[in-house]
Amino acid sequence: MKVGLFIPCYINQLYPNVGIATLELLEKLNVDVYYPSNQTCCGQPLGNSGYENDAKGACQLFVENFKEYDYVVGPSGSCVHHIIEHFDVIPQTKEVKKIRNNTFELCEFIIKVLGKRIEGASFPHKVGLHKSCHGLRGLKLGSCSEKVEPYFSIEEELLNEVDGLELMSLNRKDECCGFGGTFSVFEEAISVKMGKDKIQDHLDNGVEVITGADHSCLMHLEGLINRNNQPIKVMHIAEILNNSL
Amino acid sequence: MSHSKNADIFNRNEAKVNWHDKALWFVREKRDVAAHKVKGWEHLRDYASAIKANVLSNLDNYLVEFETNALKNGIKIHWASNAEEHNTIVHQILQKHNAKNIVKSKSMLTEECHLNPYLEAQGIEVVDTDLGEYIVQIAKETPSHIVLPAIHKTKEEVDELFQEHLGTTPSNGNPEYLTNEARKHLRNKFLNADAAITGVNFAVADTGGFVVCTNEGNADMGAHLAKVHIACMGIEKIIPNEEHLGIFLRLLARSATGQPITTYSSHFNKPIEGNEMHIVIVDNGRTEQLSREDFRSSLHCIRCGACMNTCPIYRRSGGHSYDATIPGPIGSILSPGKDLKKHSSLPFASTLCGSCSNVCPVKINIHEQLYKWRQIVVKDVKQPFTKKVILKTTGWLMAKPKLFNLLGRSGRFMLKYAPRFMVYSKLNTWGNARELPKVENQNFNQWYKKRNKNG
Amino acid sequence: MGREAILNSIKKNKPELVNLPNIDIQLFDEEIDLVETFKNNVQLVGGSVAELNQINNLDAEIKKLYPKAKNIVTHLPESNLGTVSITNETTPHSLKDIDLTIIKGEFGISENGAVWISEDQFPIRVLPFITNDLVILLQKESLCLHMYNAYKKIYDRKRTFGLFISGPSKTADIEQCLVIGAQGAMNLTVILV
Repeated sequence: MKVGLFIPCYINQLYPNVGIATLELLEKLNVDVYYPSNQTCCGQPLGNSGYENDAKGACQLFVENFKEYDYVVGPSGSCVHHIIEHFDVIPQTKEVKKIRNNTFELCEFIIKVLGKRIEGASFPHKVGLHKSCHGLRGLKLGSCSEKVEPYFSIEEELLNEVDGLELMSLNRKDECCGFGGTFSVFEEAISVKMGKDKIQDHLDNGVEVITGADHSCLMHLEGLINRNNQPIKVMHIAEILNNSL
Repeated sequence: MSHSKNADIFNRNEAKVNWHDKALWFVREKRDVAAHKVKGWEHLRDYASAIKANVLSNLDNYLVEFETNALKNGIKIHWASNAEEHNTIVHQILQKHNAKNIVKSKSMLTEECHLNPYLEAQGIEVVDTDLGEYIVQIAKETPSHIVLPAIHKTKEEVDELFQEHLGTTPSNGNPEYLTNEARKHLRNKFLNADAAITGVNFAVADTGGFVVCTNEGNADMGAHLAKVHIACMGIEKIIPNEEHLGIFLRLLARSATGQPITTYSSHFNKPIEGNEMHIVIVDNGRTEQLSREDFRSSLHCIRCGACMNTCPIYRRSGGHSYDATIPGPIGSILSPGKDLKKHSSLPFASTLCGSCSNVCPVKINIHEQLYKWRQIVVKDVKQPFTKKVILKTTGWLMAKPKLFNLLGRSGRFMLKYAPRFMVYSKLNTWGNARELPKVENQNFNQWYKKRNKNG
Repeated sequence: MGREAILNSIKKNKPELVNLPNIDIQLFDEEIDLVETFKNNVQLVGGSVAELNQINNLDAEIKKLYPKAKNIVTHLPESNLGTVSITNETTPHSLKDIDLTIIKGEFGISENGAVWISEDQFPIRVLPFITNDLVILLQKESLCLHMYNAYKKIYDRKRTFGLFISGPSKTADIEQCLVIGAQGAMNLTVILV
């Protein structure tokens, strides 16, 4: 099994540690990981802004970079969701279809494809899980509060395997954090308010570290936390799962 | 004004935003409790969606069947292609009966057609009898929510309005007192009304009858006292068989407010002996929406408002921010079909979180339609030049790895080394309320190259 | 004209026929105590429930619940409390001062505390709305589980006017504060026999 590592553009530039943790974690799980260095971006920011036709080049480059791998794995629910849902904008060649059917978010890959447990990870802190929307409702990484269905959460399953980690419960289990890509800039007032409310929910419930499978959400929350000097941190789930004492 | 500008203004009063947000979140939570009590809830949604899909694919035949059966029972049927025709038809019926005092129960369709101002201009008094609609009527505002029209009004604001219009004594917004005063006032209106106008929740093709659901009983107080009852409906309100109400009525109130059913679900099949019953069937852009493959299922809507209650943006910006008769998520996929330019900001008033689609009792894929409307807005509505250039250029760069990486590295360099005043200038909207990420010494590419070099 | 234009537009724009689903009613079946669930739901929606062992005690029970009622309409032979008699010819507006109305319910629905009443049970449509208080007499055996069952029960009726009534009229339009008693009846008691 050859896995192509997909590092979202903003992770590459701004949060390389998340990429590093993802790679190290997959290697710890004995995955044969390759990193195509010519990757750029999945095109989501353009798609969400209404410019999906202008992102066709990006989609095609993505397929070109990853077509030889059995799986594509990336530490971002929203980017993976975009690939699966919105790569319908380019001609559906065999390669495009293969990519759309075999691209996975990291946690989902570990549980659904590898079926492996996390061994030796420890993170003795009070953690709040932010269930990012595209991962939750888009990729079905967990059950959502609106639907009448049995409860499950892939991220929680993994976090529960980490030594010392205490998962705190929130008041609003899966409300959006307000990032929404370019929404964060074009509907700034609401984006900021949603982020503030989300952070407060975590603070009210004793959370020390907010985690999730999407660092775009965490970036937005971190921006608010740092501006307002709040006593809480953010950390991508890959970094927690890869953390050992 | 665009949604974002309106939302910005709404958010200047954070206490009000918190109050509005909590009030509607509470309704969402009640909906969750009610839904979880129903065995097979998700199956109900599947069936409701499938029934509506069948309806849309056979709509003309169902409407004719409905008309035939209704006529047999002595109900008069009228057809209106647009809002103007609707208003004219209603007015003509009222004129024929010399009706000057009208009572109206909740009908978003009549809101859409701006019926009230039309009739008032003809010297006809129209009183909205749903308490929430009555409140916004005397406040000279439009409803901000399709089920809870006055959700944006505090009880103190209502108290002041009632003092002014009903002569109530100041009560600090006592809901029982104010409701009772409204009851007395509206009872008078019912008893003196020449005609009653209602909406239609469901029109049943195989019986020619229709159902009106209320909690207050105001539709019935109007319809059973006045000599003339006019019911206004959009073409998409049709359902095939009466038994299908056994699906829809299990979903409607639970989705809307968390009640198992509204107090009254009134089934009208024949007029009272000697009275007149009219139905006005309205298109007003619905057949056009029917032609749009990607957006057709928005016509499944049964006007429950669940999408508004769950939408984190709606809760924090209020219905008026959408500047559309129907606000919120469903409004944002219906309104662009009517006037793309006016409502071009609405598909962007969303993070595409998908919560709306999950609470929709008729499984409209609202969040996916919002994404699709965005592509159309960009194509057909003139976009701000700078935004267009930046995004198109970025798209071009994304296909060129070397250039894209260079852009990324320069961006990082700027962020890391430029002075704070430059980075957090007025041009940096993100920086208004948030810090930018701290930039590490190397990006992932560089780290990976180095690791490989070191074996 | 409107009709032809609309129908033609639909014919032109509608998608290919999608079949109606086959509704598997077993998906919604439950073994529950119909009476207890019904009683709980009537109370949940702001109504009251009284249980009678003997139908002869009906008037005594009603007098106990509504001692002040003066203008009373009863439309069932089981009660003698009526002080105002009504017929098909009665002007609806003349009922504006009715304190209490007592009618029979045809059957009840457990899942939502609703009762089906129609022109078979009351000759003037406005009566259950314009009355201040409403009492509905209901047979326990008449209860069914949910709305889909209910529509099977009313399938063969003469269709003029009828309604499912669940609790007293209410509103929460003033700051989401629930107020029982809006435009319709101020309260509702279901008397189960």
